[in-house]
Amino acid sequence: MAIQTELLRLVELFQFPFMQRAVIGGVLTGLMGGMLGSFTILRQLSFFSDALGHSALLGISIGLLLGLNPSVILLPFAVCFALGVTYLLERTQLWTDALLNIIYSSSLAIAIIALSFVGQYKGGINNLLFGDILAVQTLDLVFSGALLIICTLFIGLTLRTQMLLTLNEPLAIARGVSVSLHRTTFIVLLSLVVGVSIKAIGVLLVSAFVVIPACAARLLSRNFSSYVLISSGLGGLSAVLGMVLSASLNLPSGPSIVTIQLMIFLAALSWLRLSRFSKRTSAR
Amino acid sequence: MSKIILGVEGLTVYRENRAAVQDVSFCLEAGTDMAIIGPNGAGKSTLIQAILGILPRKTGSIKILGYALNQKGHFPAPVRDAIAYLPQNFWFDRHIPITVEELVGLGWERLGWQLPWSGYKARRLAVGQALAQVDGIHLKKQLISGLSGGETKRVLLAYCLVRPRRLLILDEAPAGLDGRGESDFYQLLEQLKREQNWAILQISHDLEMVRRQCDRVLCLNRTLRCQGVPEVALSPHNLAEAYGAEFVRYRHSHSPHKSW
Repeated sequence: MAIQTELLRLVELFQFPFMQRAVIGGVLTGLMGGMLGSFTILRQLSFFSDALGHSALLGISIGLLLGLNPSVILLPFAVCFALGVTYLLERTQLWTDALLNIIYSSSLAIAIIALSFVGQYKGGINNLLFGDILAVQTLDLVFSGALLIICTLFIGLTLRTQMLLTLNEPLAIARGVSVSLHRTTFIVLLSLVVGVSIKAIGVLLVSAFVVIPACAARLLSRNFSSYVLISSGLGGLSAVLGMVLSASLNLPSGPSIVTIQLMIFLAALSWLRLSRFSKRTSAR
Repeated sequence: MSKIILGVEGLTVYRENRAAVQDVSFCLEAGTDMAIIGPNGAGKSTLIQAILGILPRKTGSIKILGYALNQKGHFPAPVRDAIAYLPQNFWFDRHIPITVEELVGLGWERLGWQLPWSGYKARRLAVGQALAQVDGIHLKKQLISGLSGGETKRVLLAYCLVRPRRLLILDEAPAGLDGRGESDFYQLLEQLKREQNWAILQISHDLEMVRRQCDRVLCLNRTLRCQGVPEVALSPHNLAEAYGAEFVRYRHSHSPHKSW
């Protein structure tokens, strides 16, 4: 009986427009996160997406101070931030992780100070840090849908170039690939994806959203094309399951999604162990 | 008459604030195997990378198949497709989940905007042939993370061979191959040169191989110290020019081959 009531409650939950928006938003951002994430971890940009997520809080707080809708300011902020960081990384002799640390901790600090001036902010800082399922609006869905189409076209139509770039940059240059153009395009797309995902996932966890599905896909895949596809699929799946978990148990949405991702990752890990073990025993 | 594949004129390349390659001019004809020799730090890899547009040049001109490399390091796409390049110590992240088949397929690709599945059949055929040429057909489905050093080198060579080229540029290619692998490798180069008229530009430290295999030699030590057929370029006098007199005395007293 108890299970039936629970299921009924779940079905009822999906009747709510906010839940439908959350699930659709989850699928769209999850697919993108997984797709770009597969290249992000190989190009060692995981920490970059982390820094970008943390710094996005600065963009949100600037928006609140100016009385603007955070959605409107978030995407331009993310792109400017990404381009600025890329420029700094290319021009200074400092180590990438150290420089990113300076940038994200200082923008986090300034953002928190700025937020303390926005006394009447309704949602509260918790929702910004850990994501709010109710925050996904129709406008965000439109952004996400358009961005998913752009990302799919870009990655799909330049897949071989992206593979070669990921493998070895000099080799790609020798083939006539404009490395800096591709690098910048990828960074801009990544920052947009992080930007649209931030409201549901929260600034603290958004990088996990990009990194974990890709790592799980790495464990499961036997070639590059399937790696990218599996990564996108796991991204979308975990976002939907996480949204459902969040809504049904009334948990913050970001941690719910990341917990689901962790479970998928652990499942992939144990599957890998098991298949290796069975291979070894059958070889004997 | 032979066609000039690569022409370099007055090339100077700076690394940091120092000229690593200065005022180098030479040309390479089709069907010629040219070696670049010189001591460590002589600027051999720098020269090759400047030719490919990987490093920017200070002055000079580079022409491949009659097309000049512009200041931004840009060649037209058909020229890029005609060049294959094998870098020294080819470094890649071994955790990248890419199979041998996919890697070699990247060499076949024209790298423009295209659907991911376009040219599937032709690519598969070309990849199979290239892998057969380097005796690596059994590696096809393997991930590159599982390859040994010698296997990696053969797979990369297949990446170069998978499409007909005009110019093959090797930065110390056979390093990492065992004795038989190395002789197979040079036999294959010889075949490509003779049968398909490829021009080959290779950096080498193996002067015996250069003497046996190559048609032309460039002795580089920041500037071009000498160039010509191996008999001339590898004479003790010219080697002393490139490597310093100490080197030649060392070679004389230690080399079992008294061919100089």
